[in-house]
Amino acid sequence: MASLAPRPSLDIRVLHLTNALLDGIRRVAKAPTLVVGVYMVTLLTTIPLGIVIYNAIAIDLGNSVAADTAVTSVNWEWWEEFQSRSSGITRTFNPRILGFAAVLTNLSNFVDSRLPATEIVLAAGVYLGAWIFLVGGIIDRLARQRRTASAGFFAVCGIFFFRFIRLGLLAGIAYWIVFGLVHHWLFDVLYIAATENLAVERSALLIQMALYVVFGLLLLPVNLVFDYAKIRAVVEDRHSMVGAVLAAVRFVRRHPTSTFGLYLLNSGLFLAIVVLYALVATIPGTVGSSISLGFAVGQAYLVARLILKLVFLSSQTAFFQSQLAHADYVAIATPVWPDSPAAEGIGLAQK
Amino acid sequence: MDSRPSSRVLRYFVSLATVCLSGWLAGQVAKTDAVGLALTVAQPASPPTGEVIGAPSPRNANYSIDVRLDPDRRTLTGRETVTWRNISNITTQELQFHLYYNAWKNTQSTWMRERLLGRGNRLHGSPEDAWGWIEITAVRLLSEDPVDLTQDVRHISPDDGNLDDQTVLAVDLPNQVEPGETITLEIEWTSRIPRTFARTGAIADYFFIAQWFPKLGVLEDTGWNCHQFHASTEFFSDYGVYDVRITVPQGWVVGATGAEQTRHENADGTTTHSYHQEDVHDFAWVTSPHLIDLWDEFTHPDLPDVAIRLLIQPEHVAQASRYFEATRATLQHFGEWFGAYPYSHVTVVDPAWQSGSGGMEYPTFFTGGTRWWAPDDVATPEAVTIHEAGHQFWYGVVGNNEFEHAWLDEGLTTFATARVLEESFEPQFRTVRFFGGFVPWVLRDLPWSRTIDGDRVTGYRRDARQDTQSTPTFQYWPGTAGSITYDKTALWLHTLERHLGWSTLQRGMSTFYEEWRFAHPKPADFFRAISDASEQDLSWFFDQAHGEASTFDYGIDDFTSRPINHRGFFGEDQPSFSETSDAELFETTVVVRRYGDGTFPVEVLTEFQDGSKVRETWEGTDRWKAFTYVRNARATRAFVDPDRVLLLDTQATNNSRTITPMGETAAKKWSLTWLVWLQDLLLTYGFFI
Repeated sequence: MASLAPRPSLDIRVLHLTNALLDGIRRVAKAPTLVVGVYMVTLLTTIPLGIVIYNAIAIDLGNSVAADTAVTSVNWEWWEEFQSRSSGITRTFNPRILGFAAVLTNLSNFVDSRLPATEIVLAAGVYLGAWIFLVGGIIDRLARQRRTASAGFFAVCGIFFFRFIRLGLLAGIAYWIVFGLVHHWLFDVLYIAATENLAVERSALLIQMALYVVFGLLLLPVNLVFDYAKIRAVVEDRHSMVGAVLAAVRFVRRHPTSTFGLYLLNSGLFLAIVVLYALVATIPGTVGSSISLGFAVGQAYLVARLILKLVFLSSQTAFFQSQLAHADYVAIATPVWPDSPAAEGIGLAQK
Repeated sequence: MDSRPSSRVLRYFVSLATVCLSGWLAGQVAKTDAVGLALTVAQPASPPTGEVIGAPSPRNANYSIDVRLDPDRRTLTGRETVTWRNISNITTQELQFHLYYNAWKNTQSTWMRERLLGRGNRLHGSPEDAWGWIEITAVRLLSEDPVDLTQDVRHISPDDGNLDDQTVLAVDLPNQVEPGETITLEIEWTSRIPRTFARTGAIADYFFIAQWFPKLGVLEDTGWNCHQFHASTEFFSDYGVYDVRITVPQGWVVGATGAEQTRHENADGTTTHSYHQEDVHDFAWVTSPHLIDLWDEFTHPDLPDVAIRLLIQPEHVAQASRYFEATRATLQHFGEWFGAYPYSHVTVVDPAWQSGSGGMEYPTFFTGGTRWWAPDDVATPEAVTIHEAGHQFWYGVVGNNEFEHAWLDEGLTTFATARVLEESFEPQFRTVRFFGGFVPWVLRDLPWSRTIDGDRVTGYRRDARQDTQSTPTFQYWPGTAGSITYDKTALWLHTLERHLGWSTLQRGMSTFYEEWRFAHPKPADFFRAISDASEQDLSWFFDQAHGEASTFDYGIDDFTSRPINHRGFFGEDQPSFSETSDAELFETTVVVRRYGDGTFPVEVLTEFQDGSKVRETWEGTDRWKAFTYVRNARATRAFVDPDRVLLLDTQATNNSRTITPMGETAAKKWSLTWLVWLQDLLLTYGFFI
């Protein structure tokens, strides 16, 4: 009955989303195990490939004095030689991984829709698979705002794994349209046509940036809808993923300012983290502890990004939950696990 | 320089803001320019004349050309009067002309076929308006009784017999031209300007016009040297005097080989710019309504003054001083090292984006190249500017045959470019570009190095065996010709510098420069000049570096240092078994191996724990050699070629061994660095979940 329920004022909506963000941060802060868990997943996914690179470098340098320089600084002569001998995944060990350039490399490849080497794609596939498994448990934990214990956490992961695979297929189609078709049309057709006879680089840059904005504006709602589809699936214990997507669309349509605002607020935090890392990014230098220190700086940045990813989910979950119908208007549920977080929330509200 | 990371990043964002502001300002300047209030710095008090300083060239191929540009139809209409003197020792009854524009007439030209071989078929799909050609409409022999030769011309293909190639035109003459005799021809033509192929063509209203007129080949004592246009070669012509009148729309800026003499406004809304230049072997020009015209000058206590004209794109105007500085540094260093620049002026063109005309040399005129966002500590536009300005010496003044020995000017210039950069523009850093190539990020952990970046060792290592350098350049494999031409030469010249010493090499190169000023040297002339300067026969080196596709690779094959241990039967009459060891004495063995097929004398350095060092020389001709030392200290490290004299050595990592290897520590450091990148990548793709 939208006509009977006037839309909240802008101030109220801003308050809603800032509250949701703060609530989201609070929920993540109270779930440190989640942070540790997702960090370990990230680390463990990469370590096998890291060992491959380690062995390749160690074998290549062997007993050469070139290693001495490679330890204390960047031995470009050796590195360049190493690249000429490289194949497969070791070819990704190139100067684009240095310091903040690594972040720019990945962001640039992402928005330019360029896939990395096959081995890296496979690692990314494994990583995304792990997230598909975990994200149900993560949202559940963040929505309940209490410890769910390992058994409960993984049980929810298991329950939602196959649902999220179905959701992933839907998301895959949507993202394929965005990255495969729309991106191709924007950057390989429209951009080329617009700049083919352009003799001013500055104008081409402006066109490129404008197209990035257009692409972002198309990508954002898709990402937003699938975020809320995951959240609605977990919080409302939905079985139909098509239904979850449609429900998410309805939710975003009902709360466009707040959902987009919250998304942009979180994106602002992402930019802040990236800029902060740009200020301190360095490569591990010289011997001993400084290698560990350099690595630690990188890990701190990654942990910050992982926390932000959780805050993203958490704040969106908090916002969605804040918009649930008042518990008094719905039937009282008996919150016995594995009842949904919504049922549990209603129960708590009525106590 | 503040090297704190936070300061660097701050500077990066400030740089971005500055670039945006300067770009915006440049845009305003361009608008101003468009309404006739041009931002220009006045020409020097005594404008350049186009005369040469010092002895003139043979001046046997002289051109007087009238050309009109129709920018809408993208055509040139021209008429030239060629006055040619036969300076060879043979008679001829034909003239041969290059018609380079026909290389882009269709997919069947030799240039296009070779391009397909070496770099794929991207150009083969060019749209209709991208192609270009030149068509001769009239040929007359001028004399008291002019003879129309229009019907006596034919396309020939002296290199490959490709009947579809029309890049060489033979004109049959009614009479023989004897040595020393002079004839004059008048040729008329029209041509369609291509969308840029091989650095000539047009984009939007930027026209870079090179290799555009029927140009004579070179008559040598063995006959005409007039090659077809090939994908991996450039040009070769005789020296002469050029008078060229270029007609373009009014308000368009024109830059060209030579010095502008007059500018005449025509009633039809066009302007005719007259240029004159003596003692050059080519003529190119550029025109666009948007170019900004700036002037500066080069002065030096021991070298002639040179007026520098810069025609720069509005969006790059903030980089004007960088172009000027690089040009001045080249005129200074090349002048001091090799000999004076003999012209009173040089014109630098900052090419339009996507014009494909950047980084190319023409007499007294060249193109640089830069990006809209070009960080100060990356050598763009400096490196390309120095290289092309350097070609004014190696190519412009010393006019070798680029069809056959392109390495002679390209290699020498690449080598000297790296030297100038090292002398005047360090520190420079490597950079990587993101987001469609528009956004640079400077890798301050990776300073530019003369050896690796300047000499381009990467390309050489990859392509070392593709071709023997002595093969005529036009017969190189098109895909890898650059590595053999540019990179290999720079590396072997730098190797020679380290082997002979800079003063010796410099003396040889300056002698060569003076000796072959306004002439056409062959490789042997260069080799002789260097050998003479070094007072030794260097043919063993040139035979390998130039005459073979040899690769060089020396390495430490084995390195041990152990306490001396005697075990076995000792004694002469009745040998008895014994085992003795001496903890004070160590036997060190260094086995040096030649893995490559090239040979070069190398030093072998062994370092010991007590700080002592042993340095020996090995002629390097055998496959291996063992060096054994008995000392009261254990050896710590061994090197072959410890000073990296032999830069042609393709694998430097195996040039050393240590008993305290740090390979695993380095691997730990670098694999952890890589790991951070991979983790970030996974998180980036985590966007989808």
